[in-house]
Amino acid sequence: MPNGTHTVEVPLNINKIWEFVHDMNNWAPLVPGYITHEIINENESTWQFKGDLGFMKKTVKLKIDIREWNEPVSVIFDLKGTSDNFKGGGHFKATVIDDANTSMEGFLDITAGGAMGPMVNAILKNFVPKTAQELTDNIVAKLIEVNK
Amino acid sequence: MSYIIPEKWDLETDVVVLGTGGAALVAAVTAAQEGSSVLALEKTHQIGGTTAYSGGVAWVPGNRYMKEAGINDTKEMAIKYIERLSQGRADSDMIERFVDKGPEMIDYLYEHTPTRFKMPAGYPEYYGHLKEALPQGTRSLDPVPFSLSEIGEWADTLRQNPIFPPLTLEEGGAIGGVDFGKIAERMENNIVTMGRSLIASLFKACLDRGVVTKLHTAGKDLILNEADEVIGVIAETSDGEKLYIKANKGVILASGGFEWNKQLTRSFLKGDITHPVSPPGNEGDALMMSMKAGASLGNMSEAWWYPTMVDPTFEYEDKVMGQLGGGRQGPNSIIVNKHGKRFVHEGTTYNDMPRSLFEFDPVKMEFANKGPVWMIFDQQLKDSQMIITMMPGEDAPDWVDQASSLRELAEKIGVDADGLEAQVKRWNDNCEQGIDPDFHRGTTKFEALNTPTGPSPALNLGKIEKGPFYALPIYQGALGTNGGPRTDGNSQVLRHDNTPIKGLYAAGNAAMNPLGPLYPSAGGTIGPGMTFGYLAGKHIGTN
Repeated sequence: MPNGTHTVEVPLNINKIWEFVHDMNNWAPLVPGYITHEIINENESTWQFKGDLGFMKKTVKLKIDIREWNEPVSVIFDLKGTSDNFKGGGHFKATVIDDANTSMEGFLDITAGGAMGPMVNAILKNFVPKTAQELTDNIVAKLIEVNK
Repeated sequence: MSYIIPEKWDLETDVVVLGTGGAALVAAVTAAQEGSSVLALEKTHQIGGTTAYSGGVAWVPGNRYMKEAGINDTKEMAIKYIERLSQGRADSDMIERFVDKGPEMIDYLYEHTPTRFKMPAGYPEYYGHLKEALPQGTRSLDPVPFSLSEIGEWADTLRQNPIFPPLTLEEGGAIGGVDFGKIAERMENNIVTMGRSLIASLFKACLDRGVVTKLHTAGKDLILNEADEVIGVIAETSDGEKLYIKANKGVILASGGFEWNKQLTRSFLKGDITHPVSPPGNEGDALMMSMKAGASLGNMSEAWWYPTMVDPTFEYEDKVMGQLGGGRQGPNSIIVNKHGKRFVHEGTTYNDMPRSLFEFDPVKMEFANKGPVWMIFDQQLKDSQMIITMMPGEDAPDWVDQASSLRELAEKIGVDADGLEAQVKRWNDNCEQGIDPDFHRGTTKFEALNTPTGPSPALNLGKIEKGPFYALPIYQGALGTNGGPRTDGNSQVLRHDNTPIKGLYAAGNAAMNPLGPLYPSAGGTIGPGMTFGYLAGKHIGTN
């Protein structure tokens, strides 16, 4: 099912990365097409963003549930569409290279359900890996910027 | 319009075609086939124009595919049908020209291009209930699926079609019964249908004949000599570079209508178009150029009207995307104005129903049906068919107004609640009797397009009684405009004295529709557009 993984080396200590990633408000606006988000509690939040499907853009709403906070190495989450029929999940994983460098991996998986599922998934096949890459790159760029 | 002939031309060719829609590409292929060098200028970043965005169906009486299928159609039958529908508002010479040359155009494409069509099984003529209609079958032609691998690197430049999925008309691409698995398979294998298929196959023929196409290049002005003959075009790229292009044989205007130009729509049309269902580049470029060159205009108050619906979560090229909707013909739904009152047979063709939006009430001194008007329906309809992007069996999204009572619904959408309740009561009482004395639902062919049994009270009348109740806005929309410069039987643009402007041709939505305001059935825009594009290409190509 549509998914994408993107890995980037970041010239920062792993704990610096965790400081940033563990607060959703830091990286929420970096989601491609971000419109707004609302934090319900430590693990639950709702989001609205405009997905760029290439020839069309679609505004969607979804809910994110953080399943695991594994300081400082990973955040694992589930997602579920509230405006449209889709679900999935993802993670951020950080691996130490050395004291000043970390490898960061972003992963996203989204699958559409319902009668339109096969058609929507054909579109998501390009959209999801592109979004995973853009989000990971955006987070890395922001990390470097705030830690200058 | 410019009488300034440049000292040096940037480009020189025999024929310049403005646009890359159906009429444009047929003109280009034909002119090239007849031995002319052809340059096509496309204003946007994608080829295909309104045709690529459409169902791609062509309505052509007496065509070869009808003959192969054993469907009897004569010139007299076709002319009689067109005359019945056009109500005296179309030129009889042009009607005859279309009926004579349409099938010739289809044969020409069959012989010289990979464009192929199929008769869509079970798809009737829209006005099949009239005595002048074809007794059996249809004159509409459905493009067969086409592989984009045939056009190589140009595949990525073919305009995407957000309106119709990659199914043929026969497979339900336009009227439901959608196989989403088949859609996914075609998407993954780059197989296209409908308007995209028609354009891709025509474009392949253009490539094979050396037609040069420039994207991001808009025709801006015509260049005329002292004898008022068109000898070239001033074009402009999206980077602002001006190009003076010499057209030794002439220019064919086929760059679409003016539905996205507010000044022009308000100046000419009988009603505003607030939600076009077409690509945003159709801003009347050809109309303005031809006016400057002294063209006589015709049919300017008309358009290919459409009762547009919208899923507001979708955007196309950063604009709200007009969509086709669904549910109008169904039982358990009506359309009401701000007074909560019905004002039209809801299930008539998409070209006819919106005409009622522009009616003026001379007693109340108001346009009571001005859009948006509201489709009111109940859970029975919601559960039975796809409406815009809502699937049966799934919850309605939060952008759809719904309520447990009609009164509450009326208050949500700003419609007179007493009026709506009274109207629905009347509708339900009439449904009980199996008849609609007000607007005759259940009596027109179009209401039963996808059923073998035809319209009937059982099919098209149904009470609105099971909550929750829903309301969707219907906007003043159009698939394009169909007024423009008048042309002769060879698509030459005419002056007011009926003399042709030498070197200037027009076809498709860039010209006055040869059949006047008439939309005879599926393909009623593309059939005449392609035919007169062919005639332009033939005349200019053999000039």
